[in-house]
Amino acid sequence: MNVRAPHGNNVVIQSLTQIGNCGLFLLTLLAAIPRSFRYVRETIRQLWFVGAMSLTIIMVCGLFVGMVLMLQLYHVLSIFGGTSASGMVVALSVYRELGPVVTALLFAGRAGTSITAEIGLMRATDQIDAMEMMAVDPIAYVATPRFLAGLIAMPLLCCVFCAMAVFGGHLVGVTWLGIDNGTFWSNMTAEVDVHTDIVNGVLFKSLAFGAVVSLIAVFQGFTTPPTSEGVAYATTRTVVASSIAILALDFVLTAFLM
Amino acid sequence: MTDPVRPMLDDSTLVRIRGLTTVLNGKTIFDALDLDIPRGKITAIMGPSGTGKTTLLKHITGQMRADAGEILVNGENVAGMSREQLYKMREGIGYLFQNSALLTDFSVFENVAFPLRQHTQLPEVLIRNLVLLKLQAVGLRGAAGLMPNELSGGMARRVALARAIVFDPMLIIYDEPFVGLDPVALNQVLKLIRTLNQTLGITSVLVAHELDAVKQVADHVFLIANGKVVAQGDPKTIAGDGSPWTRQFFGGEADGPVPFQYPAGDLAQALGFTGAAK
Repeated sequence: MNVRAPHGNNVVIQSLTQIGNCGLFLLTLLAAIPRSFRYVRETIRQLWFVGAMSLTIIMVCGLFVGMVLMLQLYHVLSIFGGTSASGMVVALSVYRELGPVVTALLFAGRAGTSITAEIGLMRATDQIDAMEMMAVDPIAYVATPRFLAGLIAMPLLCCVFCAMAVFGGHLVGVTWLGIDNGTFWSNMTAEVDVHTDIVNGVLFKSLAFGAVVSLIAVFQGFTTPPTSEGVAYATTRTVVASSIAILALDFVLTAFLM
Repeated sequence: MTDPVRPMLDDSTLVRIRGLTTVLNGKTIFDALDLDIPRGKITAIMGPSGTGKTTLLKHITGQMRADAGEILVNGENVAGMSREQLYKMREGIGYLFQNSALLTDFSVFENVAFPLRQHTQLPEVLIRNLVLLKLQAVGLRGAAGLMPNELSGGMARRVALARAIVFDPMLIIYDEPFVGLDPVALNQVLKLIRTLNQTLGITSVLVAHELDAVKQVADHVFLIANGKVVAQGDPKTIAGDGSPWTRQFFGGEADGPVPFQYPAGDLAQALGFTGAAK
């Protein structure tokens, strides 16, 4: 992958160059998707690494996010005597914003960094060049399966996160604080809209975040200088760039989807 | 007898380079370089560090494009090849990286089997037999189940060699194959290079700095410096060529055509003494 090196010290120009290079890299990735179909096993292997291996952190964090959200809401809503709505508010908050955003941030920290570090080290140890020399396209074999795995894993992880958050909310609200179980579920099912909240909120947003985080992680891995310091910087850049991109994209998507 | 300029013009040439010119970051790496690599022989490319030996290998394999010139591999111009054509050509080239470049997620067996799995539809039994034969050839059949991090440097290089020859290539390229090897591992690698060349008739190109090792294994040596071939000939006699380049390189002289000092300004001025002298 040939990318243009940023010239000069101007941060703005460097950032724009990086974004431009990332866009070109995305085109390369998309063009390589048909060629990567022969590496289905590699995509499944990556799906296991970035998806299944992220389950623990996603489930635990989802549980605690739901619990703390319910705790906060209960205390605020009790002032107005609206505690019966807390289950519904937890669900809407999680489906529309917290679920996709927090899952994506966790995914960037857990899977994005590992993708960047792995590819960066493969470059540093000439494994990418070795593939080129064995007539194996590294974009199709290394980059695209990881990109696709992130794209597929993110909505699934987001669903798990949301389920655990609702469970956490139920645990605190119903089991601990004594909200009526029927009220908790009936308010939630009455107010949550499948299209607006689940399809647009959970699935669409997490798909977009999955694409962005995976793209940034793979791009940083492929363009990192092949040194230990370079790999360290690249993993950091993956987290920073992904976090900014997730939050900025969340605003844009919310504005369009609302 | 060495001839510093005139390349060998031979019908049995596998790689023919004419007028190769490469400029990287404003520095001329190759300046109209001409070089021929004979088929079926072991050719060593030597030269001071930073002269572009590895870059030359990258040009031959199409990993890097030259600014000008022509590189013919088996009669095909590398510069004009599409990605698919390049990959097709590379299937006939084995490349041994300096640091072996084994895929760290895969076992020794899977590393050697990797090119077979990617480019053939051979049944598993045949892949297994081929891999074990190649590992037997490098003396590491017993290490098939080990992971790359369990291998010594010499073993890793031999595994990489087994992987490089798994398709019985027409050309095998060794990038500094002797670096960091103990005498035992060095002799093993030397023996393997010679044996592979003789038994399989593979054309071999190796980049190395170790003249003693090159003398034992190579049929022909090119000495590259200043972007050109400054000497070439038999490895046993090239050192006695008498040119300033061979005298410095093979005699290990610190200063000569390759200056000891990296180009810099006046030392007194850099130390701030110029003003004081006035």
